[in-house]
Amino acid sequence: MVQKDIKPEDGILVVRNLTKRYGEKVVLDSISMAIEESKTTVIIGPSGCGKTVFLKHLIVLERPNEGEVYYRGKRIDNLSERELVPIRRKFGFCFQMGALFDSLTVYENIIFPLRQHYKITDWKAVDELVKQKLALVGMDGYQHYLPANLSGGQRKRIAIARAIVLNPEIILYDEPTTGLDPITADVINELILKLQRELKVTSVVVTHDMKSVYKIANRIVMLYKGRIIADGDAEHIQTHPNEIVQQFIQGKVGNAELEALRLSGTKFPTQFQPEDFQNR
Amino acid sequence: MIEPLGARTAACVEGFGRFGRFAGESFRAMGSTLFHPRSYYLVFYQMHVIGVKSVPVVMATGAFVGMILAIQAYGQLAAMGLEERLGVLINISVVKELGPVLAAVMLAGRVGGALTAELGTMNVTEQIAAVQSFGVSPIHYLVAPRVLACLLLTPFLIIYADLLGILGGFFVSVKQLGINAGAYWDYSARGVELWDVSTGILKGFFFGGAIAVISCYKGFNCREGARGVGEACTEAFVGCFISILALNYMFAVILSAIYKIFWPLQPLI
Repeated sequence: MVQKDIKPEDGILVVRNLTKRYGEKVVLDSISMAIEESKTTVIIGPSGCGKTVFLKHLIVLERPNEGEVYYRGKRIDNLSERELVPIRRKFGFCFQMGALFDSLTVYENIIFPLRQHYKITDWKAVDELVKQKLALVGMDGYQHYLPANLSGGQRKRIAIARAIVLNPEIILYDEPTTGLDPITADVINELILKLQRELKVTSVVVTHDMKSVYKIANRIVMLYKGRIIADGDAEHIQTHPNEIVQQFIQGKVGNAELEALRLSGTKFPTQFQPEDFQNR
Repeated sequence: MIEPLGARTAACVEGFGRFGRFAGESFRAMGSTLFHPRSYYLVFYQMHVIGVKSVPVVMATGAFVGMILAIQAYGQLAAMGLEERLGVLINISVVKELGPVLAAVMLAGRVGGALTAELGTMNVTEQIAAVQSFGVSPIHYLVAPRVLACLLLTPFLIIYADLLGILGGFFVSVKQLGINAGAYWDYSARGVELWDVSTGILKGFFFGGAIAVISCYKGFNCREGARGVGEACTEAFVGCFISILALNYMFAVILSAIYKIFWPLQPLI
């Protein structure tokens, strides 16, 4: 179900023929896709297939070489940084490593977007807002911690709290569960579901954690070598005939890779051993 | 052979163009920060980090410059019986060239390296992209306060360096080498003009602006990883150092031309 003819009004976010090249390397190859409002769309694919680059194009942190990006029917990829300010306020972006400002406390990190866009006069209301957002991610009481004193999972939760402080319409998550233990990863999954249920936000999640995918996704899109090779709900993906899709969702190594491993054997005749170096 | 040379030249021109655009955006953002008191807290914080914390090291630089000049020049002047004129030599060298240039070089090492490392780390850990993702211009939030603080405070740091250079020179000349204090100050006052002091301080605005813009640019464009940040810091210091020397040469040419034209008219005004 790879969509071909997409109109700018077909979704809250629409990309048409999106192509991104770094030098000679084509990272995204003419991708077209409409993201539905109030749904969770999950982008899956092997490492290096262009998932994060695609996500960054949605908020115009990267500009395409070809193609267009639309937000509510309005083209945004050609806007200046100044023109993008009101658009970006509708987004929350959770970076892979959290990207918390390490010289600021948790409290200062969370009020950062507020402080930049509004003149704060009622600090008590701000304190209450920070408390409320931190409670939503289960981190109330950590206001005065520095990011360096938090664990990976805690940092990701703070990053989510910071991303939702301006009540965004769309939240973009870049590998929210990568590098976390299974329980913390599940806490993050529950949090994404909770935000979608309670705040009715549109979520776009980039991940290769299949457990997380089945739990949170309304729609799954698989990217491979810069192209969409599968697009549909969990059932559609699980029964997809494409071998690459099946290998990926089952976490299986391919026949070609297996054959290469078999041929290489356990030891190359010409391979140096550590003792070869010691004797020199 | 010609193709790589052409490619390198094109890359060099492109790099200059990118830097020019960055510098233009930074100065525009700096102008808008001046009219937005809401951002002053960022500027004051940077003033503390860049300016206040640099005072001791800049003062030490100035003091040593004055003291060394006294020791080095005394022998030659004493041989001609002109040791009482040591003050002119020390003070004019300090306020016109050595004070401003060495204070700026010291600042490039202390502040320039720190700015590049800080912004470079923010760049590789996606903190700059995070600023952008909230609809905030990284140039406004990160660069403008640093450039403004550096540009406004470098002249003051030069005043400190000059002052300590003069005092250091005086201490060695009068207390250590036994030159008459009255004669020392008398010749100094006759030899050093307000023009010399003010041009030295004026250079500070340009040196400060160059240090901050180059360091921030290198931080914003540093390559991934610890090595990338390290290389960016080295490039930033070398860039700042060369710019300070080039700007100083430019000032020497322009200011001496202006001096020759306008300063003699001073008594008429």
